Amino acid sequence: MGSTITEKILARAAGEDTVKAGDNLPARPDHMIAYDFPGYTDVMFRQMHDDFGIRTLSDPERYVIFIDHMLTKGNEKEQEVHQVTRDWCEFYGIELHEARGIGHQVMAELGYALPGTFLIHFDGHISGAGAFGALGWGVRRDLLEAWVSGQIFLDVPATTRFELDGEFAPGVDSRDLIHRIIADHGADGCAHQVMEYAGPGARAMSIDRRQGLCGMAMFTGAVSAVFEPDDTALAYARKVARKEFTPLLPDADAEYAAVHHYDLSTITPQVVLPGSARSANTRAAADLNGTPVTKAFIGSCASGRIEDIRAAALVLDGRTVAPGVELNVVPTSDAVHRQAEDEGLLDVLRRAGAQIARSSCDFCFGYQKPLQPDENCISTGVLNISGRMGSTEANIYMGSAFTVAASAVAGTITAAEEVSRS
Amino acid sequence: MSAARDYPPPPDLISGRVAWVFGDDFDIDLVIGVENIKSYDAEFLRGKVMQAYDPTFADRVRPGDVIVGGRNFGYGHPHYPPMVALRDLGIAAVLAESFSPGFWRGETYNGMPLLAVPGISTAVTTGDAVSVDWRTAAVTLADGSPLHGTPPSDRVVRVIEAGGSLKLLLAEHSRV
Repeated sequence: MGSTITEKILARAAGEDTVKAGDNLPARPDHMIAYDFPGYTDVMFRQMHDDFGIRTLSDPERYVIFIDHMLTKGNEKEQEVHQVTRDWCEFYGIELHEARGIGHQVMAELGYALPGTFLIHFDGHISGAGAFGALGWGVRRDLLEAWVSGQIFLDVPATTRFELDGEFAPGVDSRDLIHRIIADHGADGCAHQVMEYAGPGARAMSIDRRQGLCGMAMFTGAVSAVFEPDDTALAYARKVARKEFTPLLPDADAEYAAVHHYDLSTITPQVVLPGSARSANTRAAADLNGTPVTKAFIGSCASGRIEDIRAAALVLDGRTVAPGVELNVVPTSDAVHRQAEDEGLLDVLRRAGAQIARSSCDFCFGYQKPLQPDENCISTGVLNISGRMGSTEANIYMGSAFTVAASAVAGTITAAEEVSRS
Repeated sequence: MSAARDYPPPPDLISGRVAWVFGDDFDIDLVIGVENIKSYDAEFLRGKVMQAYDPTFADRVRPGDVIVGGRNFGYGHPHYPPMVALRDLGIAAVLAESFSPGFWRGETYNGMPLLAVPGISTAVTTGDAVSVDWRTAAVTLADGSPLHGTPPSDRVVRVIEAGGSLKLLLAEHSRV
């Protein structure tokens, strides 16, 4: 019996010839990534130094730190938090990437997310690395285990394969697909597994769409998601790679927990009701027509890439954001911001009345411009639990960049196809 | 993360009562309410824990009691204080049909026995006596009948025996 991509990546990381789903073993991540956040990195560095007595790292290049949260208030607290991080990174010789955008995107631009590699982070959205054929796994506090020992004990996950055909219809993207998958298979449809994407539809999908899709894997219960690395992924990876890599493909006789088929041309715009991304909360966008919104947000590690900004510009070109609605657009990284500016997209958005903010994680977790009680927000953010973007009495609906832009124009939840007809 | 408690490892055989039975996809933050998920203050948490479900909960729970869940227990964006609130009262294990991966990993790190036991959510009701051999995931119900879950891996057994992953890692890797 052959191996899945995940089994091959973990076999390589564990130094074994083969591993099988269900094996429990220590694996050695290529990179151990974190962003600085109070109570996380400050505590972990202190534990590593004071409690474990670790004063030097034998392989500091495997540790990666991003500063992408708490960048927008400019107050003393922010400076204190980030200075602690800068000091620790200097002490240990760890590469620090500060204020260049959202780490889950910047890690791709800087060549950490490479085909066949194994990455961990305390944050589960590291799964976006799957767009490049890498396995990104959010391990929460177990990141400390890898920091102090160089390895992490894992149960090798089973894999569910998603065979994709066709291409998305206009106004539809991978955000709609992930919510369709959750609606079809449940919030635990891939529990403790990896989602493996393949087929002509996967190969036709842009890198940006793949990142958005893989980054949301946790809402199916999956620990990660990974695309078969194809020419598109390899071309990107070769351009940015910081080290050599070996792409890994699944064997034809790999064993899967399940195989699902999706024809992308049949996917329609989806919107998730406030509370969580669970399947019972997923609706066709058309079913929510008429729901008023006061805030609209395009950004986060699951959106805000150049394709998302192009989508928004397509919808907003020649139109204006409805009175009483505030549309905030946050490019996923500084590089994306520059590209969007160069392509003239941000001018289109500004003319429509959108506000463009510098790249960070701050909108998505309610730090920048928090929602007020009773506000309705339509968002491409990753999470819509109560209180996520501000008041616990605000409502967060989630959808694609197309849907968010169209809703901002209409002032009510609206799929992009509705706007283009008017 | 910084204010987590230090709990001793569980006894070999956990004996108590079912303190509550939750449904599928249960979001652990609801145990204390989403507006309270940043506090580690013991008195504050005691005043909030399970208020939305049973105001007498904090007074009636005894050390060794367990909570029971349905499928995908811990779904959502789990924070740590809700389980701190439950463990402060003496809740010794969570038995569920299945667990959400993020919750499972985060609370396993903290040394909490989380046992997937198919059939548990319909086999018990609140107040039932139950005993649990957590190493083998063998559950004995009030009438003496057994239910068998998935035993934790050897590594997870060592984590729980140590009282959490941090203590195990310190024993294995500390240079102090």
